[in-house]
This record gives sequence, C-alpha cells and structure tokens, in this order.
Amino acid sequence: MKKLFAVIKREYVQRVRTKFFVIATILGPLLLVGFTVVPAVMFGIKAGGPTRIGIVDQTGKMYARVAQELVNDRTRVQTRKPPQSATPGFNNPNAPGDREPETSFVVEEVRADGRSLDQVRNDLDARVARKELDGFVILPPNLLNGEQPEYSARNTADLFTRTKVENSINRALRSQRMVENGIDEKKVEQMSEPISLRTSGAGGKESKGESSFFLVFGLGLLIYMSVLLYGQFVLGAVIEEKETRIAEILFSSMRSFPLMMGKLIGVSLVALTQMSIWAIAFLSLSAWLAGSSFTVPHIPPLIFVYFVIFFLMGYFIYATVYAVVGSMVTTTQEGGQLALPIVLLLVMGFYLSFNIIRSPNSSLAFWASMFPFFAPITMLVRIVTETPPFWQILLSLGIGIATAIGLIWVASRIYRVGMLMTGKKATLPEVWRWVRQA
Amino acid sequence: MDSTQPTLILDRISKSFGDFTAVSDLSLEVRPGRVFGLIGPNGAGKTTTIRMIVNITAPDTGTIKLFGQTMATALQDRIGYLPEERGLYKKMKVGEQLRFFAELKDLHGKEADTRIDRWLAKLQLSAWKDKRTKELSKGMQQKVQFITSVIHDPDLLILDEPFSGLDPVNVDIMKDTILELKSENKTIILSTHQMEIAEKLCDDVCMINRSRKVLDGKLRDIRRSRARNAVALRFEGSDALLNDPEVVANIRQVGDEFEVLLVAGADPQVLLKRLVDTGAVVTKFELVEASLHDIFIEEVKKAG
Repeated sequence: MKKLFAVIKREYVQRVRTKFFVIATILGPLLLVGFTVVPAVMFGIKAGGPTRIGIVDQTGKMYARVAQELVNDRTRVQTRKPPQSATPGFNNPNAPGDREPETSFVVEEVRADGRSLDQVRNDLDARVARKELDGFVILPPNLLNGEQPEYSARNTADLFTRTKVENSINRALRSQRMVENGIDEKKVEQMSEPISLRTSGAGGKESKGESSFFLVFGLGLLIYMSVLLYGQFVLGAVIEEKETRIAEILFSSMRSFPLMMGKLIGVSLVALTQMSIWAIAFLSLSAWLAGSSFTVPHIPPLIFVYFVIFFLMGYFIYATVYAVVGSMVTTTQEGGQLALPIVLLLVMGFYLSFNIIRSPNSSLAFWASMFPFFAPITMLVRIVTETPPFWQILLSLGIGIATAIGLIWVASRIYRVGMLMTGKKATLPEVWRWVRQA
Repeated sequence: MDSTQPTLILDRISKSFGDFTAVSDLSLEVRPGRVFGLIGPNGAGKTTTIRMIVNITAPDTGTIKLFGQTMATALQDRIGYLPEERGLYKKMKVGEQLRFFAELKDLHGKEADTRIDRWLAKLQLSAWKDKRTKELSKGMQQKVQFITSVIHDPDLLILDEPFSGLDPVNVDIMKDTILELKSENKTIILSTHQMEIAEKLCDDVCMINRSRKVLDGKLRDIRRSRARNAVALRFEGSDALLNDPEVVANIRQVGDEFEVLLVAGADPQVLLKRLVDTGAVVTKFELVEASLHDIFIEEVKKAG
C-alpha cells in the first residue's frame, strides 16, 4: 500500500510542478472558449462590408417593400424555422447553426430603361464580375401570382444571404398581397410585428437556450480534451519507463497491478487538480460578473459532480488502453500510431453528442450512452440536455466501471510482459498469449 | 544469519520464451558474505536468471529459495538490483529520485533521507543532489543507479555489469564499495562478461553458456584444478633461446611478453636457469594461473 502511494505521489508531484501543467491550466479554458464560441461567431461574421444587391423590379410596385425588408433589421428573428427533428422538451432552439448571421445590405434599384431583360441581366452579370455588386434579384412581372424570382450572386454558397433575400421577398410579398386585399397598411405592420422566443427548460425552469447549448457542447468538449490529454500523459509515462528501462527496477520492487494503478491514479489526480482550478476560476468569474450585462452560463452543482464522475470513468477506460499500448510499443511515434483507433473511438463519442443534443431521448442516444467508450461524453450530454431516468445513469456508470476494472485487470497482465520486452513492437497474437499465460 | 545456510538456492530452474530456451535446468547455491560471479557471454541467459531471482518473472519449472523461503513478493524488499540496462527518470532531481526508489523498497521518512545523504557523500555526489538527473554525466548517473540498489540495505545485492561505462577512478570506488558490503556479510551476485573483473572480485563463480551451466565452484579451486604449466616471460636476448622442444610446448607472444606453455612435467626452473645461463636479462618471470578467460574458452569448446 505504501508503495502504491509512493507511485501516486511521484506521478502527481512530478507532473503538477511542470511548466506544461501551469500553461495547460491557463490555456485550457481559453482553448475551450475558442473551440466553442469562435466557430459560431466566425460562421456569423460576414467579412468585407455590406452585401450589395441589385433589384430589377418587373412588377413595378415591389421594390420599396423588398428593399425595406432587406435593409430593415427588425425582421431578423421572426421567420426562424424550428429545427426539423425537434422533439418535445428540446430546449436548445438557438443552436449556432440555426442562427442567421448579421448581414447588412445595400440595395439598389435597377431600371430596365429600355433594355431587354437579357441585356439587363448581362449588364448586371458584368457588374457582379467587376465586383461593383455582390448579386442581384429579378422580380418577375407575375411575382404576386407565384412566378419565381431569380437570384444570382457571385457566391451562391453563401446560404445566409440567399435565405435572407428569400425571406425578405416573401415578407414583402405577403404585405403586398394583404394590402391588395384591402387591409390597411398600418394593420399590416401591426400584424407583422415579430416576437422572439423566451426559452425555458421543461418544468418551467428559466434557462437561456444559447448558453445551455454552449454548456453542453463545452462540457462534452472538455471531457473529450481532458481524456485525450491525460490518456496521452499515461501513454508517454509508460513509454518513458519502458524506453529508459526503469520498468525493470519497478518490477523488481512491486507487482505490476499496483504499479499501473498508482500511475493511473496519480495522473488522474493531476487532472482533478487542474479541473478544480478551472472550477474555482469559473465560479469566481460568475460571482464577479453577477449583475453585469455579460452573463456566464449557470451550471447546477450536480453537473459538476456528474462531470467529475464521467470524466474519471472515461479517463480510467481510455488511460488503461493507453497504458497497454505504451507497454506494447518501443517508441513514442509507434505509440501514437497504435493509439489512433482509440482516439477515433473518443472522437466518435464526441460527434455522437451533436445528435444527442438534438434528441437526447432517442434510442441512438440511449445505446450510445450505454456503450462504455462513448458514455463518458454521451451520457453527460444527455444529463445536461434532458436528464434521463436515474436508472439509466446508474446502468451507464455500472457498465463503465465494470469495463474499466476489466480493462485494468487485463492490462496489468500485458503491461508486465510488454514492459520487459524490447527491440520490437508486440503483435496482437503475442499480447493475447500474455493475457492467457500471465 | 547462519553463514552455512545458503542465501539463495536455485533448484533446476528453466525458462523458455516461445521456442527459445533462455535458461535450462540451472541449479546453484549462493552463500552469504561472498561475491558470487555469474559469468558468461552476452545472451547466455544471465539476465533471465537474474530476473527470476528478483521475481520479475517466474521460472517455468524448478524452484527458487531465498533466505530459506520460497520466492514471494515480500522478499523483493530484501534484494537490491542494479540492472544491466540502467534506468532513471531523466527529469527528476537526484535526491527525489533516490527517495522514490527507497520508498519502492519500503524505506520511508527520515531514515531514507539520512541514508540518501550518506550514500551521496560516499560516492562523491552530494553536490548533485538537487540537480536533475539528465544533467549528470553517464558515470555519475551510474553511481546514482547503484545507490538505488543499496539504499534499503539489502541482504542480497545483484549487480548486472556494474562497471560498464565507468572511468578507472569510479571503477575503484565501486570495487571498494562492493568489498565493503561483502565485509558486512551481504551476499553479492555479480553478473559480468568481463572475466578479469570476475577474477579480481569473486569468491565463487558459475559459468553459463547457451542457457546451461558449464562450471561452478570456488574460484580458487577452479583455477587450481586448471593450473597449467605456463610462464609469463619478458627478457632481452634471442627468441631462439626458447626453441627447446624438451621444455617448451608452445609459445605465444603478447606485446613484449611471451606466454610459454611448458611440456607436461617440465620444471619452470629449468627454463629460467637456461635463460640466465645464456646471459639473457630476465625482467619478468611469472608462473601463470589459468585465467577464467582461458577456462571459459576451454569449457565452451568442450561443449562444442
């Protein structure tokens, strides 16, 4: 027992003292914010100034309305479509992918002035090519009766601009039809007054959909990054001991099981230390920002507990596999290659969580959160989005813990033989023989 | 400890890896207060044998008894082991490193610190205690490694090629230390392929070649039984003087010396007298005992 403690102490002290630990502790949250917020923001930013759209109005009466809709900002929120796969209880309608980015428009009416439509079109194309315009719309004479308008732009991949143009035309069309059907212009305005959703979680809890999405995504990402990072710490540590032949002295002093456990526990304590620092920093930041206009997501304390539990489960599963890999190979490079499938497994769990955020109670979500290699991320995502029945959480944990124990048991057998074998990478049949013989 | 009871008994142990037999049917006894040489060429099975003694691996067949008990994990704390391939944590400070390895041998607290300081002083490393291990020269690292093997005051010390990579000054320090431990009635197993070192330090030897024991016993007995009628000789005069088939069976020149194998039963004094009589100036005349090197070569040849 004292020897186990000695191994834990060494792993912990030697790692916490490094510059790397300090840097990772400081940079970690920044990276996390970077990975979650930046892509969403990047998606929304339209670089290079307002979009210049030319409008050819063949109806002779639609230009003013369409231009107003395009330029006017108040209409931004109202026509959002609900996510198609939304299920009851889904509380994150404001996923970043759904958000229309802030795009400003400069609109210009293009008159035919005696030219034929083809000529007008050619001239506009030329102007788009000269970059005087970004795109143009041709509203056909029969627009009000359903004839399709034509949109042409330099960048047709810019879906946001396209959607915005389409929505604006539709809104303008609706207003025009109402007016033509005898509804007073003022009434039309009143009737078109937009609202935005006030989002709350099921059960009436007030929550902010957007920050909740970031919370889920952030927690999933944090588990993913931490398990990967600390798993690779274990990989590196094992390879170091094998390369430098320290393993021989270690095994002449203690059994492989406590040795490996000590290593795993020591590194896990480093991870927990780092996370505690983050948690304290986060809570202080929340307290400091309380009352100001800038809010950080509110995280229920229970989520912290679940986070730590599922992180540890993921860590012990993956780090154990990493330890086995480390004992099988001879160099760090080989270790990186052999560990690739493990990383892919972790990445799969992470990507599954995107689907699970949308439908946290689907059968896919259920099975993904029972599979021990995915569960650390997927079950946590389910808990945060829409907490599943408690028995499911327990079952997932049970499977995970059993898997971890089984892996550690197998691993410590491989570890002992692998660590003493030098010169070449072990093959899988060899490893299987070690498991049976040890 | 009763000096008549062997510290270690290997009873017909064998170990194979797949088709490769590393150790086969090896038996030996190691007595306390003696330096036991495990000698043989690289790949003979020395390291595998040692790994079984320190309980890193178990023999396929046969038994190992240490301090009169069957091998078990608890006995590991009474063994000190310096492996052939040295390993230290490069980034750890020397003092912390020693402390860690002491704790692995169940030596903790103040006692551990005191002993670390004492050993560092003894091997002239005190100034390096707070340096990272990678800043040390190879020889110094080797001495640190040696300390890890003796820090817990083991009753059995196993040294696998302890002198490789050491400069002559440090070789002497190491030799003195080993002899000192021997005088404290510790049992020392010295594994080496350098026969000259074994000759100087060992009381008993066991030679192994290709997984099998070739020869074992007290070094003195072995050498006496193999004594050949040979003379190491250096003189000024004509080489032709040695050309006497009645006395000289074979001549081998080594540098400016001759190693002369005499005809069986011939008296070395006859040769000396003859040389002196002819007016040669003899600067060296020494009866040669069989070297471990020669004995080993002979045994290996015999085994085919």
